[in-house]
Amino acid sequence: MTESAIVGQWTAAPGAEEIVTGKARYCPDIQLPGLLCGKLLYSPHARARIRKLDVRKARNMPGVFAVITHADIPGENSYLYAEPDQPLLVVDEVRFQGDAVAAVAAVDERTADAALAAIEVEYQELPGIFDPLEAMQPGADQVVQGEDNVMMSQMYRAGDVEAAIASADVVIENTYRTQWAEQAFLEMEGGVGLVDDEGGITVYSSCQAPHRDRMQIARALAMPESMVRVITPYIGGAFGAKDEAHVQIHAGLLAHAAQRPVHLIRERRESMLTHVKRHPMIIDYTTAATKEGKLLAVKARVIADAGPYTNSTHEVLNKCGEFIGGPYKVENVEVEKIGVRTNNPITGAFRGFGAPQAAFVYESQMDDLARKLGMDPLAIRLLNGVETGTKMYTGVVIREGTAMKASLNKAAEMIEWEKRDQVERRPARHLRRGFGMATILKGSGLGRGLADHAGVVLEMHRDGSVVLQSGAADMGQGIVTVMAQLAAERLGIGMSSVRVVRADTAKSPDAGASCASRQAMVSGNAVLEAADTIRDTLLTMAAGKTKIARDRLDLKAGRLTVDGEPHELTVKDLALRAGIWGYPLHAESLVHFEYPTDVPDVTYRFSQEVFQFCTQIAQVLVDCETGQVTVERLIAVHDAGKMINPGGVYGQIEGGIAQGIGYALTEELIVKEGHTQNPSLENYVIPMAFDIPELEMEVLEIPEPLGAPLGAKGIAESPIIPTAPAIRNAIYDAIDKPLYELPMTAERVLPVPDAGSIRH
Amino acid sequence: MGEMNIEFNVNGKQVRVSAEPNKTLLYVLRGNLGLTGTKDGCSSGDCGACVVMLDGRPVNSCMVLGPQVEGSSVVTIEGLASNGELHPLQRTFGETWAFQCGFCTPGMLVSCYALLELNDHPSREEILTAIAGNFCRCTGYQAVIKAVEQAAAELRAAKGGAGND
Repeated sequence: MTESAIVGQWTAAPGAEEIVTGKARYCPDIQLPGLLCGKLLYSPHARARIRKLDVRKARNMPGVFAVITHADIPGENSYLYAEPDQPLLVVDEVRFQGDAVAAVAAVDERTADAALAAIEVEYQELPGIFDPLEAMQPGADQVVQGEDNVMMSQMYRAGDVEAAIASADVVIENTYRTQWAEQAFLEMEGGVGLVDDEGGITVYSSCQAPHRDRMQIARALAMPESMVRVITPYIGGAFGAKDEAHVQIHAGLLAHAAQRPVHLIRERRESMLTHVKRHPMIIDYTTAATKEGKLLAVKARVIADAGPYTNSTHEVLNKCGEFIGGPYKVENVEVEKIGVRTNNPITGAFRGFGAPQAAFVYESQMDDLARKLGMDPLAIRLLNGVETGTKMYTGVVIREGTAMKASLNKAAEMIEWEKRDQVERRPARHLRRGFGMATILKGSGLGRGLADHAGVVLEMHRDGSVVLQSGAADMGQGIVTVMAQLAAERLGIGMSSVRVVRADTAKSPDAGASCASRQAMVSGNAVLEAADTIRDTLLTMAAGKTKIARDRLDLKAGRLTVDGEPHELTVKDLALRAGIWGYPLHAESLVHFEYPTDVPDVTYRFSQEVFQFCTQIAQVLVDCETGQVTVERLIAVHDAGKMINPGGVYGQIEGGIAQGIGYALTEELIVKEGHTQNPSLENYVIPMAFDIPELEMEVLEIPEPLGAPLGAKGIAESPIIPTAPAIRNAIYDAIDKPLYELPMTAERVLPVPDAGSIRH
Repeated sequence: MGEMNIEFNVNGKQVRVSAEPNKTLLYVLRGNLGLTGTKDGCSSGDCGACVVMLDGRPVNSCMVLGPQVEGSSVVTIEGLASNGELHPLQRTFGETWAFQCGFCTPGMLVSCYALLELNDHPSREEILTAIAGNFCRCTGYQAVIKAVEQAAAELRAAKGGAGND
């Protein structure tokens, strides 16, 4: 193909006009005749036995169309991200503050609230289990009776860690703690359920995985999946928390029970109390190195507070362990991954999926090590950094790793790293300035051995317009734009000729979840494959019509081209001919993400093999009196393989950094005895516009050789990962105080070691 | 609670609705008038997704009661385009990727529109101040700033005034 006309160009998203005019419909905007208001009743306790649950009064209230408890669920009463251990509606014991015990559907919100109030529940409060370290002890009270509180305990070993530590010149050992973090997508979880003409259930769902939703709704209703349809309207953000189902199953259950359409939208407080958080972790970490700074061994023990239910704890811990060594050559690694049940909030997917916690630790360790050895943080990272061909401790061989050092060098150049000591370090008596860097890797795709596939259906009509049906949910990350660009590019037509139907299980093949930075790669490849089939038909027809050799023909800017020169025939002409002569311009594709089979000894389960590398450098100013940290500059260098949609790529980086700044400095759900103290956007402090400096970014385009469309790879998760450790290292540089706990609030920054001199 | 009539102007049209007096302007716009462009992100004045213009000033419509707008003039996201033509901000928001999920956009756009109505040459600081109450979890605000700067330049160029840069 000749140079890209659409791929790699800034282009507005399909649907941009709907969004800027307020026409885009999200779940809360869906209006249907007879739409009922659905609500859920939650536990006021972190742990309690239900002694009595009586809904008769509520059921008999005028205007109430359905009240359901666990007893009214026709099928399975559980969520099923992985393990079916979280009930949709509690049977006998509530195990965290977000457990729901009943659901109602009523004619309006007030009636629904009154119905909730009329439900009689008698709780016997039980002593909760809130400390994961205590919960791990033998004989500890069980969060789920009959189940070990330690839901996961895995050890992975490569090389000989103990011998390497014994032989090391320097050993650094620290314990790190991270917090519960909240995704805080702007549109709360929602679902709109309705009974369709065939008696099946249709649910509009604000989700990341429409086909998995369909399976879960069918399972709860004891209905064949063929009778359940899930449609994604516009989705107002997700960041992992809408990967597992939330209220869309209940919306389906209520619609089925009421035989009327039901609207079920969480309120902000409810949202913050109920959905999965980023796992808080306690990580003991040992780094061993030679006196020259060469890494010899890494030993880590990761304990994650999972809350009462499994959700994605196994997968998150698995990813955390996969990246716990960082983007470094280190052969001797031991990582122990422990997931513990408690009566705290449930935990699961949040952008980065275990990698942000790992990166906070390994990049903090790297600076501690550099300090101990009197080395430059840049030099020690370059010395140990992986390269193309490096075999990781997981067994994975990095096929394209140029970006690790390239991003470090570029970021250092952008901030003039070697001249940082010339910058004023004490701009005022009470202020200290510092610089810190962090460099990371994170895989794109689900990982080796997991079903990582996507399909699309593509059709070109007689007028040359194209409809693309994909099951990939677009929560704002921009997969719809990427798919439209790839289709338009391959078919030689404009973006405006491609209509992408938002994911609808009745129309779209399964694309799996929009998670793990995977859709641009796997759905992207599916689009290319389907588009090539149609392109093939068009070019074959064109060759027949023009009697010009097929290999001289191409499609570009709406026209047939011959040796790159526009021909009088347009794509539209060809589409019309195909229609008249009965050549279907219809293609379906199903693409599996491929892992090479010539690497026999990948020992870490589910390893990812396409890597997002990036480096961020922070310049911070610390106020020694207030403990406030201001991020003055932030440099970010990311590798995208190839940018399909630059607006989306830069958007992911900018947004990820903003979330990273929040994760570093302010964001923390404060949970006491299982009760979240700050379930509001007022008290859970998220960065606003003033908190983000003017970001300085560079995107590298080093083509990914494996299974990536046009060399492009997913980059959505990496931007949030290095931000917190870069800021941590900058604070250390500024005030000579290492921090080992997130977030780095004023309380933790203070007292500043030599701040005595600023006192009057 | 009984309902009361409220008469006001929304997006250039005079409307009359009947609503309980404890209902918010946000509720009236979305529920009574079907103007679902304006979003509810928190119902507590923290996020700015529900910002609309009330008599020329941006307000969180979840913090205003319906009866308070009696006789007033309200502009929502649906009212920014005129005669089918997008306001420059609406275009530049799309072109610069000033939104991803788009849920904060109705409020964010109205806040920026309010700024440009008063000041077509805002500094970065002034733009940050204008959107200080608008929470966006997707973009990190960088593209929003760019979109406002570009739209401001377009507005100045359209006016043909001297001293444009």
